[in-house]
Amino acid sequence: MTTIEIAILLSGVLVLLVLIGVRVAFATAMIGITGMFIFYMTEKGMDPGRAMLVTLKLSGQIPHSKTASHVLGLIPVFILIGYLAYFAGLTKAIFEAAKRWVGWLPGGMGVATIFSTAGFAAVSGASVATSAVFARIAIPEMLALGYDKRFAAGVVAAGGTLASLIPPSAILVIYAIITEGSVGKLLMAGFIPGAVSAVIYAVMIVGMAKRNPKLGPPVTGYSWSERFASLPAAAPILFVVAIIMYCIYGGWGTPTEAGALGAFVVLCMALYRGMRWKDLSGALIESAKLTTMIFTMIWGVLIFVRYLGFADLPNTFAAFIAGLHQPAILTLLIILGVYVILGMFMDAIGMLILTLPVTYPAVIALNGGIDITREASSLGMSGEECGIWFGIIVVKMAELCLITPPIGLNCFVVAGVRPDISVQDVFRGASPFFVADVVTVGVLIAFPGIVLWLPNLL
Amino acid sequence: MSSAHNVHTDGSWLSRFDRALFAIETKLTLLGGLAVMAAMLISVANILGRKLLNMPVPGYVAIMQQIVPVMAFLGISYCQRLGGHIRMDLVTGALRGRWRWLAEFIGILVMLILSGALFYGAQNHAMRALMLGDTTDDLGIHTWPVKMVVVVMFVFLILRLFLQLWGYGRAMQTGEEMPVAVPMIEDAATQALNEAKTVSSLDEEALK
Repeated sequence: MTTIEIAILLSGVLVLLVLIGVRVAFATAMIGITGMFIFYMTEKGMDPGRAMLVTLKLSGQIPHSKTASHVLGLIPVFILIGYLAYFAGLTKAIFEAAKRWVGWLPGGMGVATIFSTAGFAAVSGASVATSAVFARIAIPEMLALGYDKRFAAGVVAAGGTLASLIPPSAILVIYAIITEGSVGKLLMAGFIPGAVSAVIYAVMIVGMAKRNPKLGPPVTGYSWSERFASLPAAAPILFVVAIIMYCIYGGWGTPTEAGALGAFVVLCMALYRGMRWKDLSGALIESAKLTTMIFTMIWGVLIFVRYLGFADLPNTFAAFIAGLHQPAILTLLIILGVYVILGMFMDAIGMLILTLPVTYPAVIALNGGIDITREASSLGMSGEECGIWFGIIVVKMAELCLITPPIGLNCFVVAGVRPDISVQDVFRGASPFFVADVVTVGVLIAFPGIVLWLPNLL
Repeated sequence: MSSAHNVHTDGSWLSRFDRALFAIETKLTLLGGLAVMAAMLISVANILGRKLLNMPVPGYVAIMQQIVPVMAFLGISYCQRLGGHIRMDLVTGALRGRWRWLAEFIGILVMLILSGALFYGAQNHAMRALMLGDTTDDLGIHTWPVKMVVVVMFVFLILRLFLQLWGYGRAMQTGEEMPVAVPMIEDAATQALNEAKTVSSLDEEALK
């Protein structure tokens, strides 16, 4: 068997382990270690004892070395904001305001959930945290109003993905670091596509609820005075958003510092609103638990990623792409198709870390190189613009990972918060949003100006 | 997926050990949460100090690099106790009785073997840092203590996995429906009721 064939076989075993209920992070790490062990024996000619020793020493340092990153510090800080914002009353307040303003639409609570997750996404950059928080807030209300269980869970899981694009986004920061791009321009580029995604989700929800009113009845009866009365409680979120945006775009600090400042303000608000030590310690424990869950996924997947690197899967993919004789846009669509398939099995961050060293240069080369002008390029963008544009497209693809089986993290989190809704039901509920995301990607490919207008103003 | 679980208890030594370990795990997780808060406060001090007083926190990046793994690992065993690590339960969810406990037993065994392997590698990583006196570029902070935190947390995880392996093994033997010291999915109605209670208090206050 060739190394690639072994890698494909082991990937199949991984799927099997995941299906029989082995925790995903541990299953990926196990397959990664097994693959490395086989690689050292077959490719490096080591005896089994030596191969095992080298494998264990190498893989054993990954959990620490891959988490000892200043950039990754952004993730727990945004998770903490999510939980503190809940205690500060911000999440409930923004949801209540959205409910009063757009609840009258067919499937109005779903639309309200989408817009409030979009608003909350501008405070918290963590998709998973957004889903976790809104699963606690929006789903009980939707179920109480007779909304379809799958539909409600799907809306929350999909709404959480908006945090990946709407700044501040941790994934975009990671993309910027891997591709050595401008963090500020990338974060700014995500804003309009994030808003477009939210609008497309909302339009789809209205369409679904109109066709099948049982999915979610409208919420009527709010007067204009009641609508305006809901705004002051939601106003603090704008304050926090302003702080974070000003920090990042005004060049005041790094995204981690901006997030920390936002978290600090939310903490002060929560304390002002009477949060006690019991609540704070509860928020801290929940934050630490979710942080651990995500980081365990990250280092587990990265052990597997290290093995895939050994097996030379990325280079094999690059050679395959380079060997295609067809229009650039078709090759791009094939790459995006591969992302959809990879996203079904891999964590978003792990997938990006694994693939970007291959796909980013491939896409830049497809466009004509990093120094190409807009006029001479094959995709109609300069080299730098192409890098930013591909960043947004690829993060949108990573969003798909969050709601596609078998390891779509957002769906698992929603099912985790709501054990009365099975993960299979959440996946089914989120499936229409997969279609909406495909439409969004199509719009962003057809009209790159949606992505590039804001960063070009910088 | 099973992440919010209920763990049954009784007066057996297994259950007593489970609860004693859980008390330590909870404190460690809280410590992890406090590390997140510490990272937040240091970042705030860094940005405000730099902009307002022209005095950033010395060695800020090095400090953060030491804190992030602490946040990432202190809750690992706690998370496992509550069944919080992500999984699919398409197959195990459909199984009943001894077959289900067998599937759980195999899953925990795989995790235990892996954790043992990673414990070996992680302690090697930490010991090498200790022997070589590895330090950060800024401030010269020794890196081995944080690397050792990872090792210690793998020890806690291994303890927890041994305990769960014992619990599932005992359940396989006795065929009991509600084994102790292992995560069980709560009755859906009870969970929904708990969730409804959660969505209250301060959020409601905020709207008044």
